[in-house]
Amino acid sequence: MTIWILLETGLREIAAHKFRSVLSMLGIVLGVASLIATMSLTNGIERGTRAFMQQIGGLELVQVIPKEVSADKIDLANLSPGRTLLDAYALRESSPLITHISPELNQGAAISSGPLTERMQVTGAWPDHFVVARHEIAYGRFLSQLDVDRSARTVVIGVEVARRLWPAVQEKDVVGRIMTINDTPFKVVGILTRYEREEDKRMRSIVENRRESRGPSVQRASAAGRWDPFRRKNESIIIPLTTLFYEYKSGTLPEDSIDSVRLDNLQLRVGNLEYFQPALEQVRSTLNNTHRGIDDFDLQTREEWFDRMAASISATRMSGGLIAGISLIVGGIGITNIMLASITERVREIGIRMAVGARGRDIFFQILIESVSVALIGGVIGIAAGFGLINLLIVVAPGENVPFMSIDSVIISVIFAFVAGVVSGIYPALKASQLDPINALRYE
Amino acid sequence: MALVLLENVVKAYKIGDQVIRALDGINLRIDEGEFVAITGPSGSGKSTLMHLLGCLDTPTSGRMELFGRDLSSARGDTLAGVRNREIGFVFQSFNLLPKLDVVRNIELPLLYSGVPPAERRERAIEVAKSVGLGERLKNRPPQLSGGQCQRVAIARALVNRPKVVFGDEPTGNLDSHTGELVLEMFRSLSREGRTVILVTHDPDVAAVTNRVIEIKDGKVRREYAP
Repeated sequence: MTIWILLETGLREIAAHKFRSVLSMLGIVLGVASLIATMSLTNGIERGTRAFMQQIGGLELVQVIPKEVSADKIDLANLSPGRTLLDAYALRESSPLITHISPELNQGAAISSGPLTERMQVTGAWPDHFVVARHEIAYGRFLSQLDVDRSARTVVIGVEVARRLWPAVQEKDVVGRIMTINDTPFKVVGILTRYEREEDKRMRSIVENRRESRGPSVQRASAAGRWDPFRRKNESIIIPLTTLFYEYKSGTLPEDSIDSVRLDNLQLRVGNLEYFQPALEQVRSTLNNTHRGIDDFDLQTREEWFDRMAASISATRMSGGLIAGISLIVGGIGITNIMLASITERVREIGIRMAVGARGRDIFFQILIESVSVALIGGVIGIAAGFGLINLLIVVAPGENVPFMSIDSVIISVIFAFVAGVVSGIYPALKASQLDPINALRYE
Repeated sequence: MALVLLENVVKAYKIGDQVIRALDGINLRIDEGEFVAITGPSGSGKSTLMHLLGCLDTPTSGRMELFGRDLSSARGDTLAGVRNREIGFVFQSFNLLPKLDVVRNIELPLLYSGVPPAERRERAIEVAKSVGLGERLKNRPPQLSGGQCQRVAIARALVNRPKVVFGDEPTGNLDSHTGELVLEMFRSLSREGRTVILVTHDPDVAAVTNRVIEIKDGKVRREYAP
C-alpha cells in the first residue's frame, strides 16, 4: 500500500467529517498562527534594532573614555596629559587595525543665518568623523583633509539645523550659504541626510502626500514629544577640528602643541570585526605610551549593548515560542482525542480492511497519515492566519519594527505541525493496528 | 490436491478460570474444487472453524495446513497476506465500507496487494460487471438493496482471484428469492472450478453443496453428501 493511497484514504476521511476535522485542527491552527506571529514580530524587532544600531555607529565603533585613576596612583595622575590630539595621531601611526580615528572637540556657540539665531553645540572633527559616526551627505560634500589642514571656515550641518536657520529655503539650496558661529562667518558645504526611524519616515511620507493635495503649508510632520534617537544627529554642526581649536579654544594651531589639545571625545572604528580584540590591544598599548603608563582611560564598545539586545530578543522569542509550543501540545492532544474517538467509531471498518488483507502496519500508517494530514492542513491554515494577523497588526498599529514573515518561520511551523501530527497519531494508530480482526468484525 | 488439511486441531478459549474448547480435535481435509458446507447449531464451533480456515486466527494446538503451507503458528502479517491473496470472504452482514462506492469497495483487497491504480480499477469494474453490477459502479452501499450489496461483497471476494471463497451465512440477511439468486452465484462459482466453503445453519443452503460437514461440540459429528 503506497503512501498516495494512504494519503487519499486519509484525506477522504477528513473530507467526510469536515466539522470534526476542523475542530481537531483548531489547536494546531492557533499554535502555528501564534508561532508565525511571534517569529515575525521578533524578526521585525531584530531587524529594526539592527538598522538603528547601524545608523548610530554599529559594532565597529569604539569610544575612548576617561577613567578615574586608582587611589594608589593618584599622585601620578597628573603625569598623563589625558585624551589629547596626540592620541589620535599616535593611533593613526601605530594602530593599523583601526581604520578611522575621530578626535572631537565640542563648543557651545551662537549660530546665526542673519535674521535667526540659535544656541547650539558645534563639533570640531576630522573627515574620519563622517565614517565613524556614519553620517551620510544629502547635498554638497563632507569636510576634507584640506579643510582641516587649512583650518578652513567650512561647515557641514544636519538637516534640522538647516530647517531652523533657513525655514523657508529648500534644503539643497542651503549649500553655499553663509552662517555665523559666534559671529565668525562659515560657508555651508554640505547638508546631512535626515536620520529618522522607519515609523517617522512613513508618517512623514503620508503627511507630505496629504500636503501636496492641500497645497503648501508650513506645518511639518514631527513626532512631537516623543523621544527621537536621531535628534542630536540631525542637529549636527561640524567644522574642521583645527578651525574650532583655532577660533574658539586657544588661538594656537594644534600642530604646534598637539599634546595640549584636550579632546572632548575620541571615537575609533575597527576595520575588521574578525580582529576586534587585537585592535583593542593595539589601541591600549598605543594609548599607554601617550598617557605615560597611567591607566586613566577605558575603551567602551557596543558589544555589551548588542549582547543585551540579542538577549532581550531571544527572551521575547522564548516566551512566544513557549506560548506556541503549549498551543501545539494542546492541539496535538486534541488530534489524539479525536483520532481515538474516530477509530472507536471505525472499528468495524478496520476489521473489514483486515479481513481483506490489511496488515497491522497498513492500518497503523493509515491512521498516522490521517492525523499528520489533519495537522499539516491545520499548519497551513495557521500559517495563513498568522500571515493575516501580522498584516492586520501592521495596518492597525504601525510601529518602527515592522514584523515580517521569514521563510524560516514557515518551515519551522510546517515541521512543528508535522511533528505534532506524528506524535498525536502514534497512540491511536497503534491501538487501531492491534485490533483483533475477529472482534473488530463483530463490533457493532 | 488438499487445500485444507487439519490434524487434531484444538482451539481453546479461557473465560475466567474456565477453559472452553471451541474446537476439540478436528480432522478435516478439503480438496481443491470442492463445494462444501459446514453446518451445526450455534455454539457448535463452526464459526471458530471458519475463523481458522479463513486465516483470521490460529489453532491452540494441532496442525493446520492451508494451500500447502503450514500455518499452525503463523504470525499476523503472514495470515493477512494469505487472507489477501488466497481467500475471499462473503459475510452475512455484507461488511462493505459505506463511504466508498461500489468500485472502491471491490478494489479494496487489491489496495493491500500493491496492484497499480489503473489495473486495480479495471479489474474491479470487470468483476463488478460479471456479478451484474455494471450499472451501479458509482453507487455507495447505502443506496443499494441487500442482494446488490451481497453481490458487491462477492465481487470483492473474487477480485484478487483467491483459491477459496468463504460464505459465512451468505443468505442470512436476504429474503428467500434474493437468497436463491446469491446461492446460484456460489453454485456457478463452484461450476467454474473454484473451491467454495459455506458456513451455515440452514439445511436448505447446505443442500446446494456437494459435501456437508456437520460440527457439534467442537468435533466433526458426521459428513454426508446431500
